[in-house]
Amino acid sequence: MRNFSKYAAVAVIALFGASSTGAFAQDQIRVVGSSTVFPFATAAAEEFGNTTNFKTPIIESTGTGGGMKLFCAGLGSSHPDIANASRRIKQSELDLCHKNGVDEVVEVKIGFDGIVLAASKNAEPMQFSLRDLYLALAAQVPAPNTEGGLGNMVPNPYKTWNQVNPNLPSLEIQVLGPPPTSGTRDAFNELAIEGGCKTFTGMKALKKSDKRTYKAYCRGIREDGVFIEAGENDNLIVQKIQANEQVIGIFGFSFLEQNADVIQAYPVSKSGKTAQEPTFDAISDGAYPISRSLFIYGKKAHVGIVPGLQEFMAEMIGDNAAGDLGYLTDRGLIPLPDSERATFQSDVQNLTKLKLN
Amino acid sequence: MTERNVPHAELSTGPTDWKSGAMQARIARRYRRERIFQSLGLGAVVISVLFLVFLLGNIVKNGAYGFVQTSVSIDVTFSADLLGDPTSLSPEAFTEKVRKTNMLRLIQTSMQELFPEVKGRRDTRTLLRIVSTGARAQLRNMILADPALIGTTKRVELLTSDDIDQVIKGNIDISLPEANRKVKDNELSWLQTLQNDDRISLNFHSQFLTGGDSREPELAGVWGAIVGSAFTLMVTLLTAFPIGLCAAIYLEEFAPKNRFTDIIEININNLAAVPSIVFGLLGLAVFLSVMGMPRSAPIVGGLTLALLTLPTVIIASRASIAAVPPSIRDAARGLGASPMQVVFHHVIPLAMPGIMTGTIIGMARALGESAPLLMIGMVAFIVDIPGSINDAATVLPVQIYLWADSPERAFVEKTSAAIMVLLFFLIAMNGIAIWLRQKFEQKW
Amino acid sequence: MTNFTIFIVIAVMAMISFALVRQKSVAIVGGATQQLHSLPRYHGYYAAVRVFAPCLFLFLLWIIGGETVIENLVVAGLPDSVKNVSGDQISLILNRIQLAVQHGEASTTDANILAAADKYSSLYNKGLWATFSLTLAVGLLGYYLSNSRTHADYRARNSFEKTISVALAASSFLAVVVTLGIVASLIFESLRFFQQVPIQDFLFGLHWSPQTALRADQVASVGAFGSIPLFAGTFLISTLAMLVAGPIGLFAAIYLTQYANRTVRAVAKPVLEILAGVPTVVYGFFAALTVAPMLRDAGGAIGVDVASESALAAGLVMGVMIIPFVSSLSDDAITAVPSSLKDGSFALGATKAETITQVLLPAALPGVVGAFLLAISRAIGETMIVVMAAGMRPNLTANPLEAVTTVTVQIVALLTGDQEFDSPKTLSAFALGLALFVITLLLNVAALRMVRKYREAYD
Repeated sequence: MRNFSKYAAVAVIALFGASSTGAFAQDQIRVVGSSTVFPFATAAAEEFGNTTNFKTPIIESTGTGGGMKLFCAGLGSSHPDIANASRRIKQSELDLCHKNGVDEVVEVKIGFDGIVLAASKNAEPMQFSLRDLYLALAAQVPAPNTEGGLGNMVPNPYKTWNQVNPNLPSLEIQVLGPPPTSGTRDAFNELAIEGGCKTFTGMKALKKSDKRTYKAYCRGIREDGVFIEAGENDNLIVQKIQANEQVIGIFGFSFLEQNADVIQAYPVSKSGKTAQEPTFDAISDGAYPISRSLFIYGKKAHVGIVPGLQEFMAEMIGDNAAGDLGYLTDRGLIPLPDSERATFQSDVQNLTKLKLN
Repeated sequence: MTERNVPHAELSTGPTDWKSGAMQARIARRYRRERIFQSLGLGAVVISVLFLVFLLGNIVKNGAYGFVQTSVSIDVTFSADLLGDPTSLSPEAFTEKVRKTNMLRLIQTSMQELFPEVKGRRDTRTLLRIVSTGARAQLRNMILADPALIGTTKRVELLTSDDIDQVIKGNIDISLPEANRKVKDNELSWLQTLQNDDRISLNFHSQFLTGGDSREPELAGVWGAIVGSAFTLMVTLLTAFPIGLCAAIYLEEFAPKNRFTDIIEININNLAAVPSIVFGLLGLAVFLSVMGMPRSAPIVGGLTLALLTLPTVIIASRASIAAVPPSIRDAARGLGASPMQVVFHHVIPLAMPGIMTGTIIGMARALGESAPLLMIGMVAFIVDIPGSINDAATVLPVQIYLWADSPERAFVEKTSAAIMVLLFFLIAMNGIAIWLRQKFEQKW
Repeated sequence: MTNFTIFIVIAVMAMISFALVRQKSVAIVGGATQQLHSLPRYHGYYAAVRVFAPCLFLFLLWIIGGETVIENLVVAGLPDSVKNVSGDQISLILNRIQLAVQHGEASTTDANILAAADKYSSLYNKGLWATFSLTLAVGLLGYYLSNSRTHADYRARNSFEKTISVALAASSFLAVVVTLGIVASLIFESLRFFQQVPIQDFLFGLHWSPQTALRADQVASVGAFGSIPLFAGTFLISTLAMLVAGPIGLFAAIYLTQYANRTVRAVAKPVLEILAGVPTVVYGFFAALTVAPMLRDAGGAIGVDVASESALAAGLVMGVMIIPFVSSLSDDAITAVPSSLKDGSFALGATKAETITQVLLPAALPGVVGAFLLAISRAIGETMIVVMAAGMRPNLTANPLEAVTTVTVQIVALLTGDQEFDSPKTLSAFALGLALFVITLLLNVAALRMVRKYREAYD
């Protein structure tokens, strides 16, 4: 007992010793936000730390919403300098920023992330139109063999793919996808489900006349167990579809690239176009319909105070990183078209202030 | 004990006839129950242990390769033209020059000597990708450590990139058509040549244990996370243990039994069920917002985890303090010890094994916890090794979680290897617990 | 001069005054310590406390508040042209000053900032020295007081013990403070949530559908925030886990305390505890990739439809994880039952099994119930295993073969998701946390009542 207290006393002293620093200023860039941008931001940070004299930035994975809350909480060393986002900043978030004195925010789109539908290599090859995806996965669909409309919607009755589209095999519909809290899910809803929904006559008119109903029809995903909400760990989804050939997974493009030897991606077509495999080129030029933009947001007021901030933002959008042969591209980031990238590069150079229209 | 059903009349007629058939059958039944009971107990232990062995076996199977890494030996010419001459330049100027030199050019020259047929930008780029991006820093450090290398040619072992490493370890199926795998045919043929030349080797990879985090699986190490975990746990232990022990002593020995202490007691039990991320919210509000402590720092993580482990420590300590027989207390009181002396000189030493058990379980939980750290910024990519409890740091479970979420295939084995490291510390902690328990365990 | 030095000085002062006062108390009575009211070491302890406590208080005051004061002074001293900016800009200026303190002229060329940095450094140094002198003075005063009060009848032990008991009470009070903090950090956000969603919808609604609720432009549609399915999921998975951990843990504890020999016990107990320390991510992967497919195949073989993400897989694996919570703490409780009870029972002819079930377990009941409670709490609070193995589908069912989700999973998902943070949707996480808090509170009250009622006090 007495020895023990002695050790404890020594430990307490050691602890105080370890904690006794004087004034400490922030001399490291701090980045928060989306877990989707995280792998890219970290790669850029490491390269930045290796090739410049600045310290390696600290990148946190908090989710876009949590990141924005931290980012917009104020200026100064206790608040992050950059927020990563897998969607564009919302007006309400920008308002919060302004309220807390973060007046000038620089927006940089660093590239795209493809959202792929994939299954085990052993599964039967299929290809989908957005309309197929809508019919298979939406909560409410037009009654079979009708064009839908207000009075004609029924809870999704389809159980197998060939009920949705006779050209597809008679396999049970089973899709593993992200939960509603995820940005990937939002993008999937907006691009795939809504994209398919709009192909039905009358939906566009409905969008104008009754937006709420339209959204309920065109963005709701079914909740009867056909669409399985998995966690946000994409590796887990990849492993689950490998283990179970009947399941289709929805996840980010970079995971497809890494696992191309064990899984296959299904081509997806826009209405009236041919189906496209999710490849670099198809996603980059927009031929593959389901992809979303990735952003980073920086604080102009911190430039010149936090060492290397502007340089780091320039690194992330630089040709060396986000260009066609850049190291971020190697990791699965889909590069912006050259002209758009040049725009954002000059935005970083001039610290152009973001205005949401 | 189970004889309540024996009629009184029978009992009062005289001594029990133990030889009677009914009695023998009853005894046999009781012994059979006894055996069943014992085997149930043994079964429970065996099941748990088997499960653990299975789990550990699984991890070791996946993780063993995480400790080795493929490297390739190439002959690097340290050209003075490119790197500068250490004899004519001042040391500072030389260092600066070396820092600015793109080491990739050294590697490129050597690789092109090996494969003169490779031409063109794209192919050269692919060829250079055999070598890890970390090779640049490796060469730079070699030169800075020994400027005499300039002007010589030396065979250097460089790490390969993770894709090549995965091929060597057999994790990429090279029998598949080219379009379906990350490593293409030309890379495989180069690799074959290198292997034939005996330039490829699979070695123990100490950087995994001594390095910080990296986005390149072949460069990633757990040392930063280990140090972060150590700092964090130190803070947790030094706060949760004394406070928990004191609270347990007060509640068990000194607190008046009234409504207020009931509330405290229920409270403490209840805290154990609060989801751990909520403690993160509390830590964010109290330590970061109100007290202005640095974000991502082990001191905040440690204090937050201390809040989380406190209930476990208190509950376990109380249980083992309560378990000390009242006779011990009475005897000490009878000999004139003050209540405080009774507790500190007799009860606590006797209760110590149980208190240790509780504390170690609590610490083990803290060691494996990641959710509350999310809120206070410790779920992060941090390359630098933390030097104090105020530096930005991450911890082992967070590192495991982040690696498990990484797209690169090579991180699978790194994840398992990191789990092995975590388990090693856990087992070490349990080892200490065994030792303490054997030293102090009391029976009465 | 650093903070560390000051701390060391305080510690050394305390040790020295312990030694001196202890010696003095012995000297007063000429070595005949039986004439002292308190043992010499209590005189020493109390002196050490008198030196250490106030000094530590001063030191902490400096650590916590010192920098803020200096920062304010430095800012106040800045030229008006620099400091006439909004409050947030000030913190930027401060950061620049601190950078200048660390890196000198390399970081900035602004003369104002450099001057402020100099001022900062010198103030900081002054602060250190002031703290140092003050603690020294207070320490000496403490020593002087103790020293002058030391006499044969001085009730040093009583005073020292009083101090200790205050510290003990304060420690347990801290648990209450933590609880208050948790309730406070949940309640404000929860209230904001309940302003938008009626509380009865939240508590009694049967439909949790974050996707309809999470659309930014669709303010909390009715019927989307029913928390019953989540609590049902939590209940289902925790029950499954306890069905595994309860019997296995308890039997393991019984075996290890009553049947196993010393070596087996010494090895098996810590080995079991390792189960509690394996990171939950590992269990999650294990449940999702090994157990869940196994159950699905087994179900398929006997013609039962098992979802590929079933509550059963998550529950089983979670049960394994919490075995040590049951076994270790029950083990301690059983070991602690006085052996006289056991011997008595054996003497009456009971078998071991009978002794255990009818004597040891009732006597150890409070400890065993405590162990179970802790295990249940852990099961309720667990997240990763459920996320990975059981999925995130809110589902009101009692069928363990279907996918369910739990309260904690939703809380984590809502807090770490990509949605707007201040939207009523994210706020629902706080309401869930609060509801969970209240429910476990009721559970604990019930358990405490039960233990009180059935507790058997022996010895």
